[in-house]
Amino acid sequence: MHEFSVMEGLMTLLADHAQAHAITRITRVRLVVGQLRGLDVNQLRGCFDLLVEGTSARSATLEIDFVPAEGHCDRCDKTFVLPNFVLTCPVCGDSRAVRTTKGRELYLEKFEGTKE
Amino acid sequence: MCQTCGCGATQGTETETVTVLENLMARNDRIAEHVRHHFDAHGVLAINLMSSPGSGKTSLLEAIIQGLAPEIKVAVIEGDLETENDAARIRRHGVPAVQITTGVTCHLDAAMVHDALDSLPIGDIDVLFIENVGNLVCPADFDLGQHANVVLLSVTEGDDKPDKYPVIFRAADMVLITKTDLLPHIEEFDLAKVEQSLRRVGGDVPILALSAKTHANLEAWCNWLRSRLATHRLSCPKNGHAHDHSHGTPRIA
Repeated sequence: MHEFSVMEGLMTLLADHAQAHAITRITRVRLVVGQLRGLDVNQLRGCFDLLVEGTSARSATLEIDFVPAEGHCDRCDKTFVLPNFVLTCPVCGDSRAVRTTKGRELYLEKFEGTKE
Repeated sequence: MCQTCGCGATQGTETETVTVLENLMARNDRIAEHVRHHFDAHGVLAINLMSSPGSGKTSLLEAIIQGLAPEIKVAVIEGDLETENDAARIRRHGVPAVQITTGVTCHLDAAMVHDALDSLPIGDIDVLFIENVGNLVCPADFDLGQHANVVLLSVTEGDDKPDKYPVIFRAADMVLITKTDLLPHIEEFDLAKVEQSLRRVGGDVPILALSAKTHANLEAWCNWLRSRLATHRLSCPKNGHAHDHSHGTPRIA
């Protein structure tokens, strides 16, 4: 249940960047979350709803771009989607030469807002 | 009046898009880098110990403190929701220990570790163990400024834990199978299955099976720690340069 701490980080970023751009009402927020972060998207949304109460983002729409985990086997030179964190290469059946290439993302891509 | 088309809409209802591309953990990660800088300036090797509650983190530390002394001076940061119990256990061995009680928080974060450092004689420490809150989920994603993650799995927990909690086992630099003295009583636990499970989620992480009670294989873990410390000291010598606990602009190397 560290989704709450993660979304507190989002609120700090939003507040800082909204202030820097003189945005007084945030209308849309777009996050990118990788599968390997182990975060539950529904919980992220629930925490967002709690945290935006009383802030300039209270009526904002939250979009989450969920990135499936992807791996690359250096031995076979193959890129593939990793189902359920299993790091085994579908070609050679081994996990030792596999590195993850996607799925660790966790960032605020952009947001939209209006100025009074 | 709107300056674009002359309609009656007031200015400011215009939508602006701000591209940010900043990590949500940015604040924690900045503090973690600051903490790591403290460690490096003093030649301290910091090890983050993670596991479920009751897998034997504190017992394992108690068992190796004497084995590492006197050439390696140890200190411990203990993380729990409540009580000073674990820090008190460590202090009985003559080792400095700070207890962080997190209240309701299920993990340690870099700011908590940073505050705890004020209570430790950092110049006299070779290896700092940070015993995270017992939890196989949340601690995995918070950088504390450590140099290595060690994940414990006791034989009573079952041999399929890496498959069930892949994030934390993927983050491990070493996996310790603890309480092997109980293996004769737990026939369901198969060390080979743990290794298969780890290879599915964690690539090539080293595994060591040991017992704090019988001291089986403890020396192998002590040797791993000695080796990590020796490597660390190549780039971060002890008392290599003067360092003050500055909180201004991060120093650029």
